[in-house]
Amino acid sequence: MRLLRAKWAPWALLAAAAAFPFVAHAVELPYLVRVGGVIGLFMLLGLGLNFTLGYVGLFDLGYIAFYAIGAYTAAIAMSKGVPAPLAVVLAAVVTTAFRALLGVTILRLRGDYLAVVTMGFGEIARLTINNLDGLTRGPKGMQLAAWRPLGFVSADPNIQYYLLILAAVALSALASRRLEDSRVGRAWVAIREDEVAARLSGIPVRHYKLLAFTLSGVFAGVGGALFAMWEQFVTPESFVFWESILVVSIVVLGGMGSIAGVLLGAFILAGVPPLMQATLSAEWINYRYLFFGLILVLVTLFRPQGILPSSRREAELGAE
Amino acid sequence: MSLTRRAGLALSAAILALAAGCGPKEQVVKIAVAVPLTGDMGTEGQGLRRAVELAVEEANAAKRFPYKLVAAPYDDRADPKEAVNVANLIVSDPRVVAVVGHYNSGCAIPAAKVYARAPVAMVSPAATNPEVTAQQLTSDWQGPKMVFRVCPTDDVQGSYAAEFAFKKLGKRRMALLHDKSPYGQGLAEQFAKTFGGLGGKVVSEDGVSVGDKDFKALLTKLQGDKNKPEGVYFGGLYTEAGLLLKQMKELGMKLPFAFISGDGSKTSGLFDVAGESADGAYLSIVGIPVEDLPSAKTFMDNYKKRFTGAGEELKPFDHFGYEAAQIIMAAMERAGGHDRVKVIEELRKTDYTGVLGKTTFDEKGDTLNKIVTMTQAQGKDKVFTTVK
Amino acid sequence: MFLQQVVNGLTLGAIYSLIALGYTLVYGILTMINFAHSEVLMLGSFMALGLATFAPAVFGTGPLALVAMFVVGMAGAGVVNVVIERFAYRPLRHISRLAPLISAIGVSIIIQNAAFLWISTQALSFPVPVPVTQLEFAGASVSTLQLVILATSLALMGLLHWFVEHTKMGKAMRACSDDVQTAGLMGINANKVIAATFFVGGALGGAAGVLYGMNYQVVKYSMGFLPGTKAFTAAVLGGIGNIRGAVLGGFLLGFLEVFASGYIPNGAQWRDVIAFTVLIIVLLVRPSGLLGEKVAEKV
Repeated sequence: MRLLRAKWAPWALLAAAAAFPFVAHAVELPYLVRVGGVIGLFMLLGLGLNFTLGYVGLFDLGYIAFYAIGAYTAAIAMSKGVPAPLAVVLAAVVTTAFRALLGVTILRLRGDYLAVVTMGFGEIARLTINNLDGLTRGPKGMQLAAWRPLGFVSADPNIQYYLLILAAVALSALASRRLEDSRVGRAWVAIREDEVAARLSGIPVRHYKLLAFTLSGVFAGVGGALFAMWEQFVTPESFVFWESILVVSIVVLGGMGSIAGVLLGAFILAGVPPLMQATLSAEWINYRYLFFGLILVLVTLFRPQGILPSSRREAELGAE
Repeated sequence: MSLTRRAGLALSAAILALAAGCGPKEQVVKIAVAVPLTGDMGTEGQGLRRAVELAVEEANAAKRFPYKLVAAPYDDRADPKEAVNVANLIVSDPRVVAVVGHYNSGCAIPAAKVYARAPVAMVSPAATNPEVTAQQLTSDWQGPKMVFRVCPTDDVQGSYAAEFAFKKLGKRRMALLHDKSPYGQGLAEQFAKTFGGLGGKVVSEDGVSVGDKDFKALLTKLQGDKNKPEGVYFGGLYTEAGLLLKQMKELGMKLPFAFISGDGSKTSGLFDVAGESADGAYLSIVGIPVEDLPSAKTFMDNYKKRFTGAGEELKPFDHFGYEAAQIIMAAMERAGGHDRVKVIEELRKTDYTGVLGKTTFDEKGDTLNKIVTMTQAQGKDKVFTTVK
Repeated sequence: MFLQQVVNGLTLGAIYSLIALGYTLVYGILTMINFAHSEVLMLGSFMALGLATFAPAVFGTGPLALVAMFVVGMAGAGVVNVVIERFAYRPLRHISRLAPLISAIGVSIIIQNAAFLWISTQALSFPVPVPVTQLEFAGASVSTLQLVILATSLALMGLLHWFVEHTKMGKAMRACSDDVQTAGLMGINANKVIAATFFVGGALGGAAGVLYGMNYQVVKYSMGFLPGTKAFTAAVLGGIGNIRGAVLGGFLLGFLEVFASGYIPNGAQWRDVIAFTVLIIVLLVRPSGLLGEKVAEKV
């Protein structure tokens, strides 16, 4: 644990993660590269939701809607001939705009009312995508042309997207870290811990809430676009309510407001089902999600504050 | 602190187990069954798994292969992301010779791209979206053409049902319902196209969701529609079809107001849901009805004998799963081994007569077996009779 | 046709209301979304089905069997809900607000998969022990079953009202709902009251499960999720934590869905979009739901 706190630790981890796909291929476990990439996508989503749920404490149950908007923006843009890198940028912009729009409308709601409204928006987004056949091809889904930007590193698309996602995760973690220590980050935590006191101290609460809510759209947008391009196919079936729940669980189980916690949470919750897929025998494969539910309950019972709670939060709660 | 270490240990144990699983052992060859084994669609996926297991067990008992053949189940949970995960896992296991799967089109389309790169053959028993096979013909396709489909696409059944409604039943105004799934919507769209072409009129179109239970509002609307529909065509599966039939009866909508649907509804499960209300419903199926085909009769009997547990009844796509496995095994025999590429080549030359009748593949990999038969549910005896 | 749609809406609304009450009772006392409530509902209907399958010899068919199914479904679901609270929520009660939610999600996954693995992987047909006839009434078709559903839900709601307003335990529940800590200082055993609340909430969920099963005559391991989310939405619409709000929200959502699919062209596929949009608009105008009290800000 102390090792993890060392200054060079994140960089060493990053280097190890970058080398991982090549090692996995060398030992003939290429499946783990795919799993690593999927974990990376959920790390990205977790870091994004961490802004709203972790830093400001806004309970969002419809986050996956923005992942969907990112994925579909990229798919539609590419089908109209927009080059892939531009499509990623476009996805981030469009998703963030949607997020800002929703934020302006609903952020005056509190607590669980906000949760239910975001859940409603998640369903509205999915059903609209499913019903707007003219734009999104509805339940038939959309194909995307292949984009292989890292062909010089490896011919395997899984390795390429693993590395792209890894880069996005590293950048997001770095950005989160910087923001955490900034004036903005401190204001967010102040709002989370006591909104009234924060307002009385002169923090423009509404603005800061909206900023956090909007920023988390960027991550979902980029994540969605990368997901769509990796799979080369998007369908509304990918963006069900369950996925929103999963991202919330990642943030809460990992440790709200803690970057390392969210990364570890994603590693466990997004990694365990596919690893069980590979290790459980034919008789036990049906039990996969039963075990997953057990893990969720047990970890929560043993680490109710999250596996790696943010040190700031831990200090505050410990003092209570 | 200790928890992180413990988690690390567990993970390395998992990886070791995975590594051990991939090492060379006794001579085992696998046919992968990649279907939803858990989640909402687990019902249908478990049925497909049983069907393929039955086919493989029969082959082993008859000693058709000099090695042990295994039906290896993989759970895609009807989630496209998990389907691609599963596909990556399957192609990394050299003992897998071909794949029966996936159940959903949304899963089959992206997973097929992974199988193509390996390449390993994928024979789909249930994914009806034309794109599943058509994507192989695009310039973007990376790999050989290796996707096959033993179930027909929506156009075959939808058109047949439209002609049946127009010519046989003399319907001129039909209402359209579907479950907003690629399967259901595809059937309904094709029905509308053909029915309109014949001069009939589709008076309304409504989409519902899989899992909906209450259709009374919708049915009441149809009842009051001033265009007076003479029947309804439903693209979807048996649970929703059964509920529709039951609620139609409760609202007093009975014959000659016709209910027509596709093979996704023709299963004993329809009677579990609708009971006697299912009486008189028209359901198209592909191929000759199993009741009239001796080989299919044997399959149904063996299935019933082998699987007797609660919930282990035959599901609507099970005979497609069984047939997919049979076609793969026949290709393996002709290839004289379990080389993946040779099996793909042999699959292309398939000319197999089994529970679906005769199956051959066109250049896309779609079955050319386009015989459609109309059956009618008999509520009292809970059977389907062929409409001549 | 309009009258028929009203009948359809009433039946749907009655079921939503019953489920919504389960969410709102628990929320009122612990301010927590009991995500596992939809699974409690599913188990309730499975237990009633089990009774109907294995014990027709004892109860025969007819009203007695109907009552027995309700008793078993309600008691079973109530007990399950209490057990869940004891082991999955209580240890987390004072630690964090979101931890019980994650635990609830985990419990929900466990129960659903357990039912899938050990009860049935497919839909099962659900019996109705009393003969059902259709009554024609001013152009609308009403089944005796729909009347049973309406009567049962209204009776249960009345019973709940009496329980909460006029019994000692009900009074204790209201006290805990206002402020658990103060209630504890006044000598109320909070654990006992919370357990009782979970039992009542679970029993209502179980009753809803039985009604749901009889109305559609089919039950499945995954049946709870959809009505669960919808009823939760209904509870929020009415003002979560508020009993009358849950009933109002349930009926409102029932009517909203029925009229959206009945009168709007292509409405069936936009039904949920319409329902959620109305929810958002209502909450923007009344941020605590239709009947919810304005929550005092934490100072």
